[in-house]
Amino acid sequence: MDEGGVAPINFMWHLVWDYKAELFKGLLTAVGVSICALIISLAVGMLFALARMSRYKIVSGFATAYVNIFRGIPALVSVIWVYFGWSLLFGHNFTVFQAGVIALTLLYSSFFCEIFRSALQAIPKGQREAGMALGMTRGKIFKSILAPQSIKIAIPNIGSMYIGMIKDTSTFAIIGMVEVVRVTQNLNSTYFQPFVLYTAAAGLYVAIAFLIDFIFRNVELNMAYPPRGRISKFLNRKKKASVEKIISST
Amino acid sequence: MTQSQVLMELTGVRKTFGKVEVLHHIDLKINKGSHAVIFGPSGSGKSTLLRCMNLLEEPDEGSIKFMQDEFGPGDKTNKQVNRKKPIELRRKVGMVFQQFNLFPHLSALDNLALPYRSVRGGSVKDAQERAAHELKKVGLLKLAANYPSELSGGQQQRVAIARALSLDPELMLFDEPTSALDPELVGEVLGVMRDLAESGMTMVVVTHEMNFAREIGDLNVFMEDGNVVATGGADFFESCTNERAKQFIGSVL
Ligand SMILES: Nc1ncnc2c1ncn2[C@@H]1O[C@H](COP(=O)(O)OP(=O)(O)OP(=O)(O)O)[C@@H](O)[C@H]1O
Ligand SMILES: [Mg+2]
Repeated sequence: MDEGGVAPINFMWHLVWDYKAELFKGLLTAVGVSICALIISLAVGMLFALARMSRYKIVSGFATAYVNIFRGIPALVSVIWVYFGWSLLFGHNFTVFQAGVIALTLLYSSFFCEIFRSALQAIPKGQREAGMALGMTRGKIFKSILAPQSIKIAIPNIGSMYIGMIKDTSTFAIIGMVEVVRVTQNLNSTYFQPFVLYTAAAGLYVAIAFLIDFIFRNVELNMAYPPRGRISKFLNRKKKASVEKIISST
Repeated sequence: MTQSQVLMELTGVRKTFGKVEVLHHIDLKINKGSHAVIFGPSGSGKSTLLRCMNLLEEPDEGSIKFMQDEFGPGDKTNKQVNRKKPIELRRKVGMVFQQFNLFPHLSALDNLALPYRSVRGGSVKDAQERAAHELKKVGLLKLAANYPSELSGGQQQRVAIARALSLDPELMLFDEPTSALDPELVGEVLGVMRDLAESGMTMVVVTHEMNFAREIGDLNVFMEDGNVVATGGADFFESCTNERAKQFIGSVL
């Protein structure tokens, strides 16, 4: 019976191909949750960045405390709080998707707060002064001068953070979200091929990281001064034509 | 009569940074249509004084009267005077900075159009047409679609001047507008400023370009250690009797 204590190794790589649709759907779920969370946490993060720089001690103190607490919380804990804790405390149930978005937003708005704060501080103070000297309101200066420049500075960091967000969705298997890891777990309980299946899962995360990197590089090109790259040229062609018309008719 | 109409009057302006007082009780009158030149050694408070004139620095004491309006802290016991908000002064006073401070994420055209639209409202197209018109006046219409990084220092400063002018200011402030420029680019900027002076714009210029100061200055203000030490008219450089001012002029000419 025992032939030297080692079972013959049989890697069932074909499983990856057989269940590609399930795995891909899991990936889409991960991307969907993390994109929703990205959009919300960018907005919340910018608000927190402003709060942190506020001259009112209560406001900046609150933002600082928030950042220091939520930066340190693992995604697994965050999602358990949101999904199970909230329901126990308040008797209201979030869907799995909602719980995932909220859990990620709680964590990543603290990172984006720090990213935006340092980006805003990197803008020379002459920019704000120029806006003030021109008679622009504080709100307009922020919206049209400071925010766009700080987002540009922050773009590479936002890209890295987003890759982290996607990876963190892997912990949402615990609340039953059918994302990549949950799909992998389900397949594994049927076939017991952990090495093959989890390697495939890792491959998917790496592939999506490459894609995100590509996208963010293009966004960065588009936000360069002046915009560079083919995509930005295409997007800006109408604007450019109307500017040229104004120049030639003046 | 219009010759001596006062456009801006500073009375008793004091400014401290932390515990250090860098402007001590400054009184100064700028007449409409005049070209004031402020000069003096580094650290004497020239920039700070200029920045008080559009309230980029809020004085700790003193009053700034601009046309009919009062700004600054003034006499706090006198509740009669209705003191206006800084933004109302800034909308009538243009400023040009040593470092240009163009918005790097916008084309030259939008550097003018964006603040114009944000202050005056209206459509993007109207603002851009107005911007193109102003850029034409400083000879930069052809480069209107360029970004600041695609312009020379002299061109950037001309865009900055056009940007300030597009909002129809009553007064233009210049803080060493040519100090950051390569020598060969100084001329084009001074040329634009000369045209502006000839067009009758009221100007206050902090500069080390003494020849230019001599040429356009009809009010010369010499500062030292946070005080206005000597003032004089167009003949100041010849007739000035203040020893320190004479020394300083001698050292830079
Ligand atoms: N934001 C600030 N905080 C603290 N001190 C300041 C600040 N701005 C200026 N000062 C100080 O105030 C004094 C006057 O500075 P200011 O910039 O007005 O001089 P300046 O005459 O324009 O000099 P320069 O010719 O070098 O431009 C200096 O001693 C300077 O160190
Ligand atoms: Mg200065």
